[in-house]
Amino acid sequence: MKLLDHATISRQLRDRKYFADAGLLTAVRLSIALGRPLLLEGEPGVGKTRISYVLADALNRELIRLQCYEGIDVSQVLYEWDYPKQLLSLRAAEVERTPVRNLYASEFLLERPLLRSLRSETGAVLLIDEIDRADSEFEAFLLEFLDGFQITIPEAGTVTAAVPPLVVLTSNRTRELHDALKRRCLYHWIPFPDPERERAIVEAQTPGLSARSAARLVRSVNIIRSLGPVKRPGIAEAIAWAQGSLALADEGAEWTEALRASLGLVLKNAEDGALVAAHASEVFADDDR
Amino acid sequence: MTTVETHLFRFLRALHVRGLSVPANKQLDFFAGIETIAPATTGELYWVGSATLVTSEPDHHIYDEVFRKFFGSTLEEADSGAEEDQDDQPTAAPGENEVEDIVVDRAGGSGLAAGGVSPDGAMRFAGTDPRAHELIRQICRELPRAVPATRSRRHRPCGRRRRVDPRATYLESRRTHGEIMRLHWRHRPPRERRLLLLIDVSGSMKQHSPDYLRFAYAVVATCARAEVFTFGTRLTRVTSHLRVPDVDAALSSLARVVLDADGGTVIGASLQAFLDHFESMARGALVLVLSDGLERGDCTAMARATRRLSLLAYQLSWWSPLACDPGYRPLTRGMSAVLADLDSLTGVRDLDTALTAVRGRFARTPTPRRDAHV
Repeated sequence: MKLLDHATISRQLRDRKYFADAGLLTAVRLSIALGRPLLLEGEPGVGKTRISYVLADALNRELIRLQCYEGIDVSQVLYEWDYPKQLLSLRAAEVERTPVRNLYASEFLLERPLLRSLRSETGAVLLIDEIDRADSEFEAFLLEFLDGFQITIPEAGTVTAAVPPLVVLTSNRTRELHDALKRRCLYHWIPFPDPERERAIVEAQTPGLSARSAARLVRSVNIIRSLGPVKRPGIAEAIAWAQGSLALADEGAEWTEALRASLGLVLKNAEDGALVAAHASEVFADDDR
Repeated sequence: MTTVETHLFRFLRALHVRGLSVPANKQLDFFAGIETIAPATTGELYWVGSATLVTSEPDHHIYDEVFRKFFGSTLEEADSGAEEDQDDQPTAAPGENEVEDIVVDRAGGSGLAAGGVSPDGAMRFAGTDPRAHELIRQICRELPRAVPATRSRRHRPCGRRRRVDPRATYLESRRTHGEIMRLHWRHRPPRERRLLLLIDVSGSMKQHSPDYLRFAYAVVATCARAEVFTFGTRLTRVTSHLRVPDVDAALSSLARVVLDADGGTVIGASLQAFLDHFESMARGALVLVLSDGLERGDCTAMARATRRLSLLAYQLSWWSPLACDPGYRPLTRGMSAVLADLDSLTGVRDLDTALTAVRGRFARTPTPRRDAHV
């Protein structure tokens, strides 16, 4: 596939309110150009999942999401025959005394995400989310799929992708992924963004927020992160906080008060609440005044 | 071969020498990446290599170091020329806030005694004697019974009438021309919980840590979902090093990665480093901390981290060599602070006592409250 140049893809993502750094952009461009899956890791809430949605939109492709969980197996991932329907059609044929139709026709095939991503005509963006939650047997099975982008259905034959899907895997590192899988992927660790970029993100996601309020909010979030809380707030929490505070501020609350009141959108832990309360003057300091 | 290519090959070779193994297909990707992107600045080259050669966040350390040596510049300098890239630079090269930095910083910053500084000593182990081999075999036999189970998410066929299995029912009905003679059932079988070991390898544990690590070897060999970390002044993940057939080979490979053995202890900061980076591993797991609990300096960090571990884990057990003494009372500040959060405190000093503890099913006391965290 053709290579998208840095400026174009950066602009396309920006237009869709996603602000990626140079490392992520390079990884995405390489992933598209080399047809390799892209493995993303990072703290919760830094945009691992969202980049797939944005990419699908930017590349004008269908997004297919496969959420992994413990015990996920082939029948939930590849395909399943519609057994009740097959049984019913057998009974119907018996009652109507018509010859039995092909029971492995495509009308009896339930497509699951991987098969659907192969059959997509324009090519798809396949998001395999939280791969570390699935068991390692599932990972081994994925290797075959990622290598050839084809699936063999014993009763119906082999399905090969017309346009190979762009595969994005995310992991939260609850367990170490197999080297075999990592070897086939491009890897990128998404760090927390620098304050400038975070401010841009928060502003873009919260229409009506003034630049100054956004800057103060991002500063507060960064201070909270540096306090070493149990759970460091991600970008998603920062955005939620901005939106919540803005809603309160629209009702006439003062900005600092609004920030305090909606603190529950950033901190999801009693210990963290106490920590921030202890450092309130730092966190809510308004040094612009 | 041009000089540029030679330089790139030397770079790959140096990565290999420093311990970041780059298989041939990753090298191919690296060159393909260079060909397609045609990096104009060192910064671009950095990211091409970062995406194609590195496969985990801790590896970034090695990559950064070798990259700097070969291409001579840090990231910021490299990209000062790029057009709009000013704000596209990461604030810190990924991996810069690695565990060891944090631990060492905290050790220095909070005025912990000189014992908090890692001596970077290598571990040496005597060979495993036949008696120990026998004990390891017995532990391996006992473990599957001792590790608590949870309900698997994966359905299996069974006789109990939980849920109809349409696939099996349909497949069998084909023999009888579509007539269903018998329903097939499936259920969710029990599944072993994750077993997480946090092993203290500091100086005060010196005489016990070889046997603790042999126990860890037995755990990794038996339990599919085990994870092992060691800590002294820093946290080291050693699961993959223990996953080899021979116990002595496993221990000698540990000597290369565990660099803080026989030094001081910073239990609180080490547990906190674990929680910062691998928190979700503890969720619903059986967590064993193997340590004497002799914390230097302030104990609040240790108490806080233990409390958090206890909330995350299905069961939190503490193994201490000191508790082997029947007269032992956990009166040191550290141990008395964490005692309330432990499900059990067991005396284990060698493989014999470890076997006893495993036979006692990790002193499990069924507490219904814990099931809420599954």
